[in-house]
Amino acid sequence: MITLGLLEKNTFLEAVNKKSGTNVLECYQCGKCVSTCPVSGYMDFPPREIMQMIKLGLKEECYMANSMWFCLTCSACSGRCPREIDVPAVMEAIRHLAIEENYRSENKKVKDIRKFHDIFLDMIKRYGRNYELRMMAEFNIRTRNLFKDMHLAPKALLKGKIPIGHESTKSAKAIQKMYKLAEKLEKDMK
Amino acid sequence: MARVGVFVCFCGANIAGVIDVPAVVQEAKKIKEVKISIEYKYLCSDPGQQIIREAIVQNRLTSVVVAACSPRMHEKTFRKALLDAGMNPYLLEIANIREHSSWVHQKDKKAATEKASDLIRMAVAKSIANEQLHEISVPVTKRALVIGGGIAGIQAALDIADARIPVTLVEKSPSIGGRMAQLDETFPTLDCSQCILTPKMVDVASHPYIELIPYSEVIELQGYVGNYKAKIKKKASYVDFSSCTGCGACTQKCPVKVPNEFNMNIDKRKAIYTPFPQAVPNKPVIDAEHCTMLLKGKCGICAKVCEKGSINFKMVDEVIEREIGAVVIATGYDLWDPKPYEEYGVGRYKDIITSLEFERMVSASGPTNGVPVRPSDGKVPKNVVFIKCIGSRDEAKGIEYCSKICCMYTAKHAILLHHKVPDSHAYIFYMDIRAAGKGYEEFVKRAQVETAATYLRGRVSKIYKKGDKLMVRGEDAQIGQVVEVEADLVVLATAVIAPKDNPALARLLGVSYDKYGYISEAHPKLRPVETAKAGIFLAGCTQAPKDIPDTVAQASACAAKVCGLFAGDTMKKDPMISTINNEFCSGCLNCIKVCPYQAIVTEEIPLGHGSKEIRTVAKINEGVCQGCGSCVAICRSMAISLAGFTDPQIINEIVAI
Repeated sequence: MITLGLLEKNTFLEAVNKKSGTNVLECYQCGKCVSTCPVSGYMDFPPREIMQMIKLGLKEECYMANSMWFCLTCSACSGRCPREIDVPAVMEAIRHLAIEENYRSENKKVKDIRKFHDIFLDMIKRYGRNYELRMMAEFNIRTRNLFKDMHLAPKALLKGKIPIGHESTKSAKAIQKMYKLAEKLEKDMK
Repeated sequence: MARVGVFVCFCGANIAGVIDVPAVVQEAKKIKEVKISIEYKYLCSDPGQQIIREAIVQNRLTSVVVAACSPRMHEKTFRKALLDAGMNPYLLEIANIREHSSWVHQKDKKAATEKASDLIRMAVAKSIANEQLHEISVPVTKRALVIGGGIAGIQAALDIADARIPVTLVEKSPSIGGRMAQLDETFPTLDCSQCILTPKMVDVASHPYIELIPYSEVIELQGYVGNYKAKIKKKASYVDFSSCTGCGACTQKCPVKVPNEFNMNIDKRKAIYTPFPQAVPNKPVIDAEHCTMLLKGKCGICAKVCEKGSINFKMVDEVIEREIGAVVIATGYDLWDPKPYEEYGVGRYKDIITSLEFERMVSASGPTNGVPVRPSDGKVPKNVVFIKCIGSRDEAKGIEYCSKICCMYTAKHAILLHHKVPDSHAYIFYMDIRAAGKGYEEFVKRAQVETAATYLRGRVSKIYKKGDKLMVRGEDAQIGQVVEVEADLVVLATAVIAPKDNPALARLLGVSYDKYGYISEAHPKLRPVETAKAGIFLAGCTQAPKDIPDTVAQASACAAKVCGLFAGDTMKKDPMISTINNEFCSGCLNCIKVCPYQAIVTEEIPLGHGSKEIRTVAKINEGVCQGCGSCVAICRSMAISLAGFTDPQIINEIVAI
């Protein structure tokens, strides 16, 4: 059971609204997002319920849910939302807030997804663009599942879907600068 | 020799889907008097009527039988077709082969066809004995009686009076204004209710064509459309309105304090009182149930302070009569008492109030100067829970129907709460949000987005006390979890119900009412402002729950109906009424006893030709008679005959089958 006290200041709602640049209060619970979403069936709480939970200020329940990590940000939901709510932006906002406030789900899948995000960002930082082979290898090592999808490797390699080496980019340095700037900004904010 | 035309209608598939229409047409041709028998898909359409008109002229018909739907539906249409063809319209007979055959015998097509033929044969036989009849003209009293001085009655009275038709407006309480006068602001525009209503109230009082009779009730209505006679009981107010200036000295000095109904008993009024400062008329009345002078003969302070000497403790109820032509019923609504909601602790917890109590609190002129407070400790609430559908849509405890206005006024209350107490928060438990109306959905959105009211979908299961808070438990179906809200104040949106006096009033006026006590309209879609009794109309919540825009629209529609009724100096009336043959009347006067319309009076005539002795016989008042036929059936000397249903006609019908 959930007990609701004085919601005079729903700080969670305010934070999500500010970060996402959208107003969750606009949601009138029609559920079109849920039936549109390709992965809503895998989520602990589908997008409509997440919206209501934000309105009720149920912060922890939102942070510990897998919903925002499963969100593909495909934007099919927001494309169809009758109230024009940017649902992926809301999901993104909850992801950010959960990390900022150090909430970590023990769910294996959520952990894997978070690792995937981390490795991807690491690849960009290092090479200026994605280095698929290394990314796959690193993901398999860090998730302790060495032979995951390995049977697909020969075919993919032969067809040139996965280049052996990493492709260089001219703007690698510029991207590294961006990373440094972002890290500095993050520190300043804290 | 009679020449009858028979016209059989398919009514699309309504009749032809069950009845073999061509066979019926052939069967009718076998009747000796039938000169023409034809079928058509829709006789009521213009080409259909044209067929009838042409056949009448070509075949020199002496009567017409239309086999189609109920005469209630299209008798008038076909009578007019006869008239257009130069024939007396009362030479028409309708054989109702739809409601009386095809609709009720859908499973037995053969029998339905046979029955249709029988009905036609009867109608043909009856029509042969039909006589030419002519409409009766009756005079009209051009004065309307409006019962109820809420916004519906006010609007109807003003619109009728603006057409220069005199109106008598009867109001039960000391002032007009009704429920709308109790409201603070109105959805969806948040117009101040008083600001838009009081000018209309003043207009009523000052209108040269409106006679306002407050503190009174209609106790009797006799007569018929255009010529009613109403008895109105003016309750003793113990104040002479003609000399009273409304200074208010009496109400100030009166020592007796009584719960104030206008403020939903939140504060007290005096035993001599005006219901609210903007009351019209702004004259006080004495509440005889509480005045110590009237009860025990002691006090009389009001009489001492009144400079004009307007107080009269000897005043008694007075009955006045008015001749009127039409009535508008606008008695409004009551609110359901939520006592059966024991699981909410209604009656036990002081901080559970009804919406109208909340409305009075947030009203700027209300008992708490516009600030909602907890009745238990007078503190301003922070967390307020609104619960909708209290009694509405609750077959176990309340009524089945939706009260229509609660969704909107609860959204309004959430907005008003936020205006009056900015650091408060509104929770609304609801089952559905029904916001159909101009600007209504937008208004609910305003409550949800701007005011940030929390809408929780579910009925509250229980309320219990925890410290000085009320814990309100219900499901939020949107996340499928049980939630508990810590509330400072709980507001119940109680159902709209019919006034408890409605059935008695309906019986008195001779109109019908439904199982809830609402006055019934003549047709739910096509005659929504008329009752089944001619000349009696209805406006506002006396028919069903309604919001202000709908009520005002219906009141204006009533006014249009009244003006239409009064458009001529006389009214046309159906000639199908009773006539009495003096020669046969034995003077038993049993007919007077059975007549439901008081249409029969006595008459004294000479005993014989040239005789000086007299005898008493019955006489029909043509204007009043509705042609029900009760007198015909009771008359033992067979002296009474009902035009259009004479004995030869009925006997012909019986012989035909």
